[in-house]
Formats: sequence, structure tokens, C-alpha cells
Amino acid sequence: MRIKFPKITFYRGIAFRYSIFFLVAITIILFIPLVVGYGTSSVLIMLQAKNDAATKTNQTVTRIENVLQPTELVPQTLVRAMENPNISNTDVIRIAREFILQDPYVFGTCLAFEPYQGEPGSYWYASYAYEKNGHLQSKILGSKSYDYFKMEWYRLPKITGKPAWTEPYYDKGGGDTLMCTYSAPVFRNLNGIRKFVGVLTMDVSLAGFAKIVSEVKVSDTGYGILISKQGKIIVSPIANLADKNILDVARQGKGVETMWAIRDMLKGNEGFSNMDGLEAKKRPSFLSYAPVPSTGWSFGIIFPEDELYDDMYSFIKVMSWIFGISITILLITTVLITRRMTRPIVRLVEATHKIGHGEFDTKLPVRKSKDEVAQLTRAFAEMRDELRSYIINLEETTTAKEKIESELKVAHTIQMDMLPRGFLTPDNWDLYAILNPAKAVGGDLYDFFYLDPDHLCIAVGDVAGKGVPAALFMMVTRTLLRAKALAGIPINMVMESINRELCQDNPNQMFVTFFAAVVDLKNGTMEFCNAGHNFPLVVDGGVTVKRLKERHGFPLGVQERGRYNAGFYTFSDREVLVLTTDGITDALNTREEFFSEIRLQETLLRMAGKSAREITTGLSDEIEKFSEGADQADDITILALQYQVITDIKRDVMNYEMLKLKNQLTELDRIALKIEEISEQWNIPPKVSMELNLVIEELFTNVVFYAWDDLSEHEILLELTMTDPDAVQVRLTDDGKPFNLLEMKVDDVFDKPLEERKIGGLGIHFVREMMSEVLYQRSDNKNIVILTRKF
Amino acid sequence: MELNEQKTSQCVILGITGRLDTTNYNVLEKKLLELIDDHNEKILVECSKMDYVSSSGLRILLMALKKITMVKGKFVLCGLQENIREIFEISGFTNIFEIYGTQEEALKVF
Repeated sequence: MRIKFPKITFYRGIAFRYSIFFLVAITIILFIPLVVGYGTSSVLIMLQAKNDAATKTNQTVTRIENVLQPTELVPQTLVRAMENPNISNTDVIRIAREFILQDPYVFGTCLAFEPYQGEPGSYWYASYAYEKNGHLQSKILGSKSYDYFKMEWYRLPKITGKPAWTEPYYDKGGGDTLMCTYSAPVFRNLNGIRKFVGVLTMDVSLAGFAKIVSEVKVSDTGYGILISKQGKIIVSPIANLADKNILDVARQGKGVETMWAIRDMLKGNEGFSNMDGLEAKKRPSFLSYAPVPSTGWSFGIIFPEDELYDDMYSFIKVMSWIFGISITILLITTVLITRRMTRPIVRLVEATHKIGHGEFDTKLPVRKSKDEVAQLTRAFAEMRDELRSYIINLEETTTAKEKIESELKVAHTIQMDMLPRGFLTPDNWDLYAILNPAKAVGGDLYDFFYLDPDHLCIAVGDVAGKGVPAALFMMVTRTLLRAKALAGIPINMVMESINRELCQDNPNQMFVTFFAAVVDLKNGTMEFCNAGHNFPLVVDGGVTVKRLKERHGFPLGVQERGRYNAGFYTFSDREVLVLTTDGITDALNTREEFFSEIRLQETLLRMAGKSAREITTGLSDEIEKFSEGADQADDITILALQYQVITDIKRDVMNYEMLKLKNQLTELDRIALKIEEISEQWNIPPKVSMELNLVIEELFTNVVFYAWDDLSEHEILLELTMTDPDAVQVRLTDDGKPFNLLEMKVDDVFDKPLEERKIGGLGIHFVREMMSEVLYQRSDNKNIVILTRKF
Repeated sequence: MELNEQKTSQCVILGITGRLDTTNYNVLEKKLLELIDDHNEKILVECSKMDYVSSSGLRILLMALKKITMVKGKFVLCGLQENIREIFEISGFTNIFEIYGTQEEALKVF
């Protein structure tokens, strides 16, 4: 037995798949925190940035306030002081000028009066001083070209009666710079009436705020922006934006958010929002803003979104690299480990292949550990040992069985050899028999033997049971039959005698159904005795099958003192006696149907007219065909004996001639010579002699031309017998293919026109016309034509 | 078997002596075919010395008869021995062939 294992390379199988599976799992597991981390980080960064921006916004607002508050406080104090008549304008101017020298952000101050209030006779009077290169410069303002009454810094406090900040403006003729002015109204008590007389201003250079604003640092390119109440951009690091209105700039952006944010900013609220940057690129940015309370301004910090996440992105980049390298290292390690783990399995597979091919001495890989592979290896070793001992055992059993079988085969051969094979009978008798045992040795038997030259004993029996015991019993029966029958006593006495002997020493109570007969070959009669055997059949020329329904006692071996009678039968011409055992009628096919008596008779009828050999083998073949391959349950024995009435043949040296001929036409000369010779010896008339010659030539020529398909040499036997003083018998025997000249139609020769006549048929026609009797037999694979010519 | 050919003004007389059988029918076959090919359309076969004929020989005679009949010639047999005549009768050839007792009788028909 060969076990075929599929070829598996474990290196690429388990190791590889396992590693891939493992890595995919690891990747997924690691990827989740990474994604979650990314999400939370971005939110955290956002919050952080928002807080950071808000803090910075407020810090900057505070710094701006710190600049603005003293700027407001000083004029407010001075203006309140001026309500006191003892405080002169000159004092106020001196204090104010002192202040601007000390304060880094305030660079100018002005005390401007109502017409004719400052200097008698002077419509305009404004005393202005400003700081330049650390020194104080002063000048008197007010002229037609510098009509300060129309200026915001003067008009605002005059109208409202309260101090106020102006929008950024460029003071041309005054400070000559971009500035914002804090302006406080001055009231004097004139004649008991509190009257507005002018304003005291403090100029703050916007350049000062620019410094504060530019110091605000958020991300890489984030910047601060300071806008006035009206939205005018006071300070911005971005070029071209100064003095523009932020609303106009925001309108250029696409986002609605930007407008909302700016409007909210202008309302004086504090907040955080997305927006488009104010720079030319307008990158998506964040805006953090807060109001500057004292002036109504607003301060904002704008910084791009992407810069906010820059750190996180670079962090993720580094992480990804680490991640990738780790996975690769992991892959290599896993593959190495799994390879190492599956290596013993691979070795085991190789060993298995060898064991599968019967190499049981193959060493299995040794594993000291107690892991699963080691267990498998041990289990495998056990299996191999079991298998080896099983096969050794099997071989022994098989040998023993074969021995028994071969002995049975020998027994079978012996049994078969004991059955008579030489079916030699006189010419008018044809005998043939076969025995097909169900097991190697069987319990059936047939036998025939000459009691004397004119008497033939035939027998068929069936021992109850099969196998060796039945075969032995059968042998005993046969030996007894031969011993008793040859004594020359009648057949029924023979049977009685055999029966007694079998009964005397029969511990197993075996018995045999038996039919035996003595045939008188000379006159075609038969004396028979049927001891419990099934009835023999007699088939005539093809019309009927009859049964010899006579039984003359129990089967042999049953009743010691059994008496047996005998029956008598006279054969008619061409009748066939067929003896069988019940193995034939009881033969089963795969559908559990019996072959049955009816089928037996039908089969025999179909074969009527054939030789004994053809009948027996034909019947046997029919049974085999019928059984459809079903196991043969019982032995099958068939014996056929055919009788033909013909004139007695007296074989004598004087009236018998034989010629062994080769299958060559030149032999015709020898035939002619021989016929000439016997014609003289046997006083055959010339006409008869010529006819014999003609007929033999025709038959011989036919045989030479048609009997064999090959070209090799064959023998044709010609026998000539003078059976009577006025009769000659011709017997021509060949071992060519069957050809029964009696079946040949000769009508063709005459009914057809000249052109279509078959010459071959003419020869056969001559044979039939010229001979007194024509017989054909096919036996022992030979064609035998027997012709008789009376004269 | 021996063949004896004699040409007369009327016909060719072909005499067969001995046995005509399977061993030698081809000799006769050859001779007859030669004669027919040479436009001898009138042939008389003298059988008085032919003492044996088998179906092979009959076949040749039948063949010759067919060929000569086709060219509207004449193929006649004469002088058959008693035994040979019986063979012809059994085979039914007496109905097919023109057969005369003696050569003289036969020659009259040409």
C-alpha cells in the first residue's frame, strides 16, 4: 500500500502565513491608538492654541492699556485742575510737556483754546509741543490753513463735553505723523459760569503701538492687528494695510466666518474664530480678539491653521517611520521564529514520505522537548512501529493463507486429474463432461470407464456439502464405483454395494446422490440406477427434451441396507443423454433467480444436433452468462453422451487405409493413387472409384482453401474403410475452422443464371449426390466428415 | 492431362487426355484463353480420352462457354465417357453445354 502525501513546503506555508497574519493584527492594534491619538492631539492642540492666543491677546491689550491709561490720566487730572482759577494755562502746559518727555509713547501735547480765549485778540491759539530726538519742540498752532476747530480731536470733546480718543489720522502741520489723539475738554469758571474754553490733547504715535503689536509672537507667521472703533487698522505688520478699514479687507476674503468674526470684533466683544488670513494668500487661519476698553479699539491675533498642526505632523511623521521599521523587524523575527518552529514538521513530512513508500527503518527527527511537535513525532513513531508489525503480521498471515490456498489448488488439480479426460468412444458415440467446482475442491463427480470394449460405465454424483470433506467423500465413492463396477455385476448391485461400504464408516453422516449407468455401445441400450439424483435428460434431434423419471433408492450413504433397482433405456438415433447436478438448476443470478429446469431444457433444445462437447460447454457458458457474475454457489457438473445409429464398422488391416495429407493441392495425386490402389484391392467398380476420387478431391480442395486463415502447414487425415463388401466409408478430418457441409445451401448452384453459379457449391453438391450417407461432426476442435458409398 | 490441338477449316478441335482436376485445370484455362484471344470462336472439345473431371475443370469449361457465347461463337463438347457424362448430368451442365456423341456428329454443326 502506498500512501501519497501532498507535497507541502512548510517554509512558505505556515511560517509565511502566520507572520502575515500576526503583522496585520499588530498593525491594526497599533494603528488604533495612533488614529485616536491623532484625533485627541489635534483637539488638544487646538484648545491649547486657543488659550494661548487668548492669553496673548489679553496680555497685549493690557500692554496697550498700560500705554493708554497714563495718556488719559494726565490730561484728565490737568483738566480737572484747570477748573481752579489759580492754575494757570502756563502751569498746565509745563506739566503736560514734562509728562511727554517721560512717557515713551506720548510724543506730543497741545492746549488749544476757543476763539479769543487763549491769547487776547487771537482767533486761534493752540500751544503745541512735541518730542523730537529727545528734545522738546514747541509751536503755536492755528491758522486758516490749520483750522483746528474743524478737526476731530477738537470737535469731539467740545461736542460731548467728555474726553475722547480720535481715530488714527495723519496730523499734517501738527505732529506730522500717523497718530491718535486723546483729547479732554477744558472748562474754566468765568464769572461764576463753567464754560468750555478749549481742549488738552495727548498725541500717541501709532509707531509706538506697532512695537507692542509686533512683539506678539504666535506660531511662525502669526501676527497681531489693532483696529480702531470704526474698523480702521491702526497697526498691522502686513504692508499696505495701514490706514485701511478692516471691513474692506475682510470683504475680499471668501469666508462668511471672516465677516462675522470682524463684526463681532468691532462690536467690542472678545472671542475666537476661524477666518481667512488678511495677507495676500488668505490662508485659513484662526483669529483671537479682545477689545481695548479705554479707546473702544480692538486687538486681534491671526495665525494660520496649518502652522498650528506643524508640530503634530512632524511628530506623526517620525512615529510612522518608527512604526514602519518596527513592523519590518517584527516581520523578519516572526518569519525566523516560525521557520524554526516548523522545521521539525518539515523533517517529519520527509520521513512520512519515506515511511509511506514502505521504508519503515526511516529515522524520525529527534526532539528532546515536550512540545506538540515532539508529541506528534512520538505518536508518529508509534504509528510507524504499529504499521511495521502489522505488515509483518499481514505478510505472515498472507503466506499462511497462500500456503493453504496453494495446497487447495493442488487438491483441485489432483481431483480434476482423477476425472477422466480422454473422451475416447467408438465413432457413433460422442462423450464429453465438465466439472466446475464452486470452491477449489468440490463435492461433485463424474466418471466414465470401459467395463469391456462394448460396455461403458458412466456416472454423475453430488456429495452433500462442499470443500475438502466433500471432495474426499467423492473420491471414495468414485474408487468404490470403479472397484465394484469392474466386477461385472449389474449396476443396481454395484450401487447397493457402494451404499453399504459408504454407510459402514460414515461418522459425519455424509451422503451422495448418484446416477450410474452401463451403456451397451453395440446396441445402444443403457441399464441405469438413480440413487436420489436429479433426473437425467434425453434430448432428441431437436424436438423434445425428456426426463428419465426413475429413482431407485436413497442417496448413497444414507441407509445401509437400502435396496436399489435398475432402469433400462434404449437410445434412438442422435439422442443425447445429459447428466447434471443440481448446481445447474440452482444456479443464482444477481437478482436471486434460479437457472431452473425450464431454462436448462430450453438451452438443451437450442443446442440439439451439436456435439457432446458443444452441448456441455455451451450449457456451462449459458449458466455463466445467466449468473451475471454472481458467485457460483454450488459445483456444476455436466456429462453428455450422444448416440448415432450407424452400420457396424469392422476395423481390419485389410479393409482400412489411412493417409496423412498436408494442406497442399499436390496431395491430390497421392489421393488419386491411393483410390486406384484400394479400388483394385476392394473390388470397387470404376464408376464408384471415380466418384470417390471426385468427392474427396472436392472436399480436400475446400479444406485446403478455406479451413485455415494462416499459411502454415496443417495435417488433413483421410481414412478409407470398407465397412461392408459393398460399402466404403470415407472419413476426412481437419483441425481448421468449423465448417458443416450439411448446412451449406446448394440451391444457388441451379436456380441462378449461368453467370452467378458458385463453383464451390458444386463440389458439395457432388458429395451429396454421389454418396449414400453424409455425416458431419465437430469434436475436439476438428471437422470430421464421414461419407459412405454403397455399391 | 495432355492437350492436343488440331485446327481445321471449320473449327479448332481441342483433345483432352487423362485427368482434368484441381492440379492442372489452369493448363486448360491458359490454352482456351489463348485460343479465344486468337479469335478462334469455334471450338470443339474432344473428351473421349478424358477419364476424370472435377468441379475445377468444369469451371474452366463453363468459363470458356461464357466467353465464346459472348462473341457469338460456338463451343461444343463431344465423346464424353459414361462416367464423365454422369458428372455433367449431376452438375446440370448437360443442359448448358452442347454435347455430341462423336466428333463427326459435332463437326456437322459448325
